[in-house]
Amino acid sequence: MNISLRKQRILYAFIFLLPGLLLYLIFVIYPILKTFQISFYEWNIIPGEPSEWVGVGNYIRALNDPVVRISLRNTFMYTLVTVPGQLILALIVALLMNYITRGSTFFRTIYYLPVITSWVVVSLLFNYLFQSPKGIINHILMNVLHLIAEPIPWFMNASTAFIPIEALGIWKGIGWGMVVFLAALKSIPQELYEAAAIDGANAWQRLIKITLPLIRPTLVFLSVILMIGGFNVFISVVLITRGGPLQRTEVMLSYMYHQAFDFLDFGYGGATAFILAAIIITLSFIQIRFFRRPVGD
Amino acid sequence: MNKRKHLTSLITAGLVALALLVTACAQPTPQVIEKPVVVEKEVPVTIEVEKVVTAIPLPPSPVTISFWHAYSEAEMNLFEDTLIPKFEAAHPNVTVESVQVPYNDFRRKLLTSIAGGSAPDLIRSDIIWVPEYGAMGALVALDVLMPDFQEYADAVFPGPLETNFANGHYWGLPLDTNNRVLVTNTAMFEAAGISGPPKTIEEFLAACKKIKALGEDKYCFADGGTYAWAVNPWIWSFGGDITDPGFTTATGYLNGPQTKAAYEFLKNLIDQGYMHPSIKGGIGNVGIDTWGGFGNDEIAMILEGPWFPTIFGTEKEYSLSLMPAGPAGPISVVGGEDIVMFEQSQHKEEAAEFIRFMLSEDSQVAMASVGQMPVLKILAEPGSLIDLDFYGIFLEQAKTARARTPHPNFTKIEEIYTLAGSAYLRGEASFEDLFNPAVEEINALLAP
Repeated sequence: MNISLRKQRILYAFIFLLPGLLLYLIFVIYPILKTFQISFYEWNIIPGEPSEWVGVGNYIRALNDPVVRISLRNTFMYTLVTVPGQLILALIVALLMNYITRGSTFFRTIYYLPVITSWVVVSLLFNYLFQSPKGIINHILMNVLHLIAEPIPWFMNASTAFIPIEALGIWKGIGWGMVVFLAALKSIPQELYEAAAIDGANAWQRLIKITLPLIRPTLVFLSVILMIGGFNVFISVVLITRGGPLQRTEVMLSYMYHQAFDFLDFGYGGATAFILAAIIITLSFIQIRFFRRPVGD
Repeated sequence: MNKRKHLTSLITAGLVALALLVTACAQPTPQVIEKPVVVEKEVPVTIEVEKVVTAIPLPPSPVTISFWHAYSEAEMNLFEDTLIPKFEAAHPNVTVESVQVPYNDFRRKLLTSIAGGSAPDLIRSDIIWVPEYGAMGALVALDVLMPDFQEYADAVFPGPLETNFANGHYWGLPLDTNNRVLVTNTAMFEAAGISGPPKTIEEFLAACKKIKALGEDKYCFADGGTYAWAVNPWIWSFGGDITDPGFTTATGYLNGPQTKAAYEFLKNLIDQGYMHPSIKGGIGNVGIDTWGGFGNDEIAMILEGPWFPTIFGTEKEYSLSLMPAGPAGPISVVGGEDIVMFEQSQHKEEAAEFIRFMLSEDSQVAMASVGQMPVLKILAEPGSLIDLDFYGIFLEQAKTARARTPHPNFTKIEEIYTLAGSAYLRGEASFEDLFNPAVEEINALLAP
């Protein structure tokens, strides 16, 4: 049996990839395709029972649904607030980490801790922090900082209800962004900074002219990943407001879940999921296309 | 040598891949308890063996039936430690697997298992879900499966029984029932100088005025939202309704003058500061802890069911009374659970046997001792085996309490008027602007 070394290598690679690939096909690709199929039906969840074909009916219904519009707007707003929030704060923390020499492991651990805590636990925690009138945030704002005269009923209105949700999203994401930024910062050659210092560049100029351009690929990568994460906001909304009051804090995924699992409307839920997927794919494509110019342009 | 080594690692890699694949795709092994059948009789010759073996009927093969419920700890302990062993002793070939599923996750878990073809044999279902599951084709029509169905139907209260009816069949039998009665905080009532629980809406309002005088952060009444369980008692007591008696239209009912009066009454309670604003919705998912507020003397009255005394404890003094009577009387809402069987069950006869067992007088009396109000008419009679001091007020309230719209689309219908009610109590639009469109939407869902 004479197999060329190259073919042998490919065969090995394939055999080792096979389990992972099969799991991926079964648990990721198959559900996606199945959901796509379901989104064209008035789907009956009982196995073997016929489902009614409705074509693009579910998609048209979603586009005319006022709650879908609210959910889309909320999802966009959440992403617009949390992505820059996480990027800026993570970068600041990473720059600080990059400069300190003592205790950096300790601080890295502290900042990374929110990343590894459970979404469920911290969502419930934020829910308690922002309770009204007797939550601790209201207490601090009112009795310690004297910024407000009356306790804020955070969850009574959509505008204030998103503050805890967004704060949670940013707080939980900083650590991960910091680690990625830190890796990029460590890879910048020290000589560049030394040369710039000799030329008289101050810290701000070094940041703008050297650091930021050189970590741009990381910045693009992070912003794409964080944007996808932002559009997929779900657990915090479901656990903090459950979409209320009056469905005004629904986001795309919470509304999809509500339709599918509370009303058994899996066809409609599938359609909203694919509308969101289409938006995410388009935006990611635009982001990568426009921001990923080679370093030095 | 090298080639051989390559071949060995190639085979190993392949085996690992295969093992992972097999594990990933393996079907969960059904939990069947094998009990060997032993024929203990010595027989001398082969010809006689045949005779003997055929003469002894083989015991039925062992089966496991699964039963999902959302019993509280106390209820579950009694169910698992007393009732199940009793049933299993009487049916040695049947094992009952008790699965506690938290109420909030129940529907979703169940739907996932139905879609996956692995529904439990039986569940203790919230009464409001039964018509939906029945119409969906997920349940077994018990009036078809059980030849003695009528005996059981005649033995239980008619109100809870009706919650099982949809599309011309009974899809379950009531297991336990409950309703909401008024719970009043004795300390707050005494502090406000109110003699006793209000019997009418007028007395309720008068009491609220006195309670508010105790302080700005004292509330006369609180409830968790504008869903059916909370608002229907007020709507019915005011003489309004959600739909006509045949569940064909909401026009003139949900947007009728009596229903409007009920919502105006609730809105007035909020505007006066009598009602905790939690009813408007949007208090976060943790919600207002009405029991906590009641215990801390911040809330003077709540509507609660028969589980309240056993869970709330005896630290605080309170009294139970009927829902305050409106123009139509003191009408409360019926809750409770039905026991239903799934089409996917492989052991329908055994499951039916378990239903009979759970509806027996002994089982009903046993569950009553931990707060599950029985459904057998005979147990409401004087001299029955249940603690009538405890259940008396709930049995009294049961005479006028009503069930929420038993319709396959109830979940959607309820969301529509929950949202309209919440918007109205928040003062976002007039009653007509909110409820006329809601009625149109509900009518579309009621249409056959």
